[in-house]
Amino acid sequence: MLENILVGAATAFTFQNLIYCFFGVFVGTFIGVLPGLGSLAAISMLLPISFYLDPTTALIMLAGIYYGGEYGGSIASILLNIPGTPSAAITCLDGSPMARQGRAGVALFITAIASFVGGSVGVVALMGFGPAIARIGLSFGPGDYFALMLLGLVAAVTVGGGSVVKGLLMVVLGLLLGTVGTDVTSGEFRYTFGYLELRDGVSLVALAMGIFGIAEVISSIKDAGQRKIREKVTMRSMLPTRADMARTVGPMARGSSIGGFLGALPGAGTVIAAFLAYATEFRLARDKSRFGNGAVEGVAAPEAANNAAAQTAFIPTLTIGIPGSPTMSIMLGALMIHGITPGPLLVSEHPTIFWGLIVSFWIGNLFLLVLNIPLIGIWVRVLQFPYKYVYPVVIALICIGVFSMRNSVFDVGLAVIFGTFGYLMQQVGYSAAPLILGFVLGPMLEENLRRAMLLARGDATRLISDPLTGSILAMSLLLLVWAVFGGLLNLMRTRARAKLPPGEA
Amino acid sequence: MQTITLRFAISAMLAAIGVAGLVIALDYDFGTARQMGPGYFPVILSILLTLLAVSEMIGAFLKPEAQTIDWRPMIAILAAVLGFGICMRFFGMIPAFFAVIGLSVLSEKGYGFVPAAVLATVTCAFAWLLFSRLLGMPLPLIRWDF
Repeated sequence: MLENILVGAATAFTFQNLIYCFFGVFVGTFIGVLPGLGSLAAISMLLPISFYLDPTTALIMLAGIYYGGEYGGSIASILLNIPGTPSAAITCLDGSPMARQGRAGVALFITAIASFVGGSVGVVALMGFGPAIARIGLSFGPGDYFALMLLGLVAAVTVGGGSVVKGLLMVVLGLLLGTVGTDVTSGEFRYTFGYLELRDGVSLVALAMGIFGIAEVISSIKDAGQRKIREKVTMRSMLPTRADMARTVGPMARGSSIGGFLGALPGAGTVIAAFLAYATEFRLARDKSRFGNGAVEGVAAPEAANNAAAQTAFIPTLTIGIPGSPTMSIMLGALMIHGITPGPLLVSEHPTIFWGLIVSFWIGNLFLLVLNIPLIGIWVRVLQFPYKYVYPVVIALICIGVFSMRNSVFDVGLAVIFGTFGYLMQQVGYSAAPLILGFVLGPMLEENLRRAMLLARGDATRLISDPLTGSILAMSLLLLVWAVFGGLLNLMRTRARAKLPPGEA
Repeated sequence: MQTITLRFAISAMLAAIGVAGLVIALDYDFGTARQMGPGYFPVILSILLTLLAVSEMIGAFLKPEAQTIDWRPMIAILAAVLGFGICMRFFGMIPAFFAVIGLSVLSEKGYGFVPAAVLATVTCAFAWLLFSRLLGMPLPLIRWDF
């Protein structure tokens, strides 16, 4: 273990990697602070730049944007009562009342500390379990992969709350979009309509930018005018009382464990982690009336959870090659562009990437601690900057990002189409995350199903009777049945109370 | 009573995509369960999509709820992206950036010409430095290519 960490440190502590790590977490916090823009859009925007970097450096930067966004998202939640990222929505519940009581500084301080603790626990979990899970992954057959991906998709639909039918619709639409292009096995073109550009499939960046980036900018313009921050955040105001500190230790520990566990499951993700951590604290609390009125536990637990989940989300992505969230699927795409296939062999064949990335997480979390406590003033000022000057630039950057990916005007056109549908669908309560997940997993799902069925000689019962494949498939079915028949009613009711936006899972 | 809500329209559109996908996929070789052809997966998915969309259509029909769409920002932003694509194809990078910023600021009333022009200039210069200078992408600033 120590040896591996040293290998990682040697990679992460080069000047170039340190610079890009800082750049990543800085951009991530920036994007996280701005409501209406998530880390997914930022990562897609910077994806073209990453082609020019060494794969490890590229990954360090992109990952930094991702977990940096988790830190930044809560700043807007506390100061504006608008979540900067979906996973910070739950932080509004107690963060915003704290700000109204003049304790915004304390809330921000506790958020930063909880985020750091959560992130650290997540990294430790990644170090401890990652290689072990990769070893298990080595024995997986195509049937097991198929079943695992199916479980991930079902989990993304059911655990996220909201309408199951709508979620399934998005998954299936995503899977169908994933079949566009050249069929790997037969070489036949599917749904290309004679367009050369479609033979390589629909551009992931055009899809993600259209359905997340463009759609979210459109819906964020309307309410942009009413943002005001009254509180002044000084270093002195950030210092918590001794009672605050004592109250946050338990929630931080519980939040980190919940988040670390959920993040590693495909399809669960940071939003659910934050929500469940909050629900747990609420259930454990003796005096429930404090919640919603500025309880520090209500800020510490979800923030620890979503940051722990953001780190452990790398476990399935890197060690099995199955991304659990749309952002992770873009990360997976970035690796594959560099010719590296994530999966059980990544840890043993590319130790510098795996361990370098892990050590960079430590460094990144330290950078974030500095960015979020002594330099908090920057982000308060970013929030005060009028949004009307921000969104035109964001749209322009989205355009150039989509275009430069393949130097293609066609992709810009696709982004317009996806943006239209994305916005309209968002208005009726569809969430884009299952669609992207389906789109990315689709080709892998199909290939593994074909291989598994070939091995099973076309007999589906053989596939089901395999102990591992069968039990994972049964879990997916159970989850689906549970979701359809109202087992989640309670969860959804509480979610509705929290006014959680449908979004990045 | 408004019967055709946005929710209904969207589910109808998804159903249409499902049917169209099925019709097209029937042309591809279906194969067998043992050796699936390129048509196997798309056919199954299209059928699933259609069934789900129809059940959602019924749901939307039985319980119509009015939805609001912010037409102005939607049209402005989509036109901006489209304008960027068209200008990039025919006129080059500088016109494309002025098009995308110029059109997207139409989302709000009374944005003002000066801030829009300043934003366009700054963003274009930044993008040119990053993509063209630093990364060496072939992005002509101005061209006339039909």
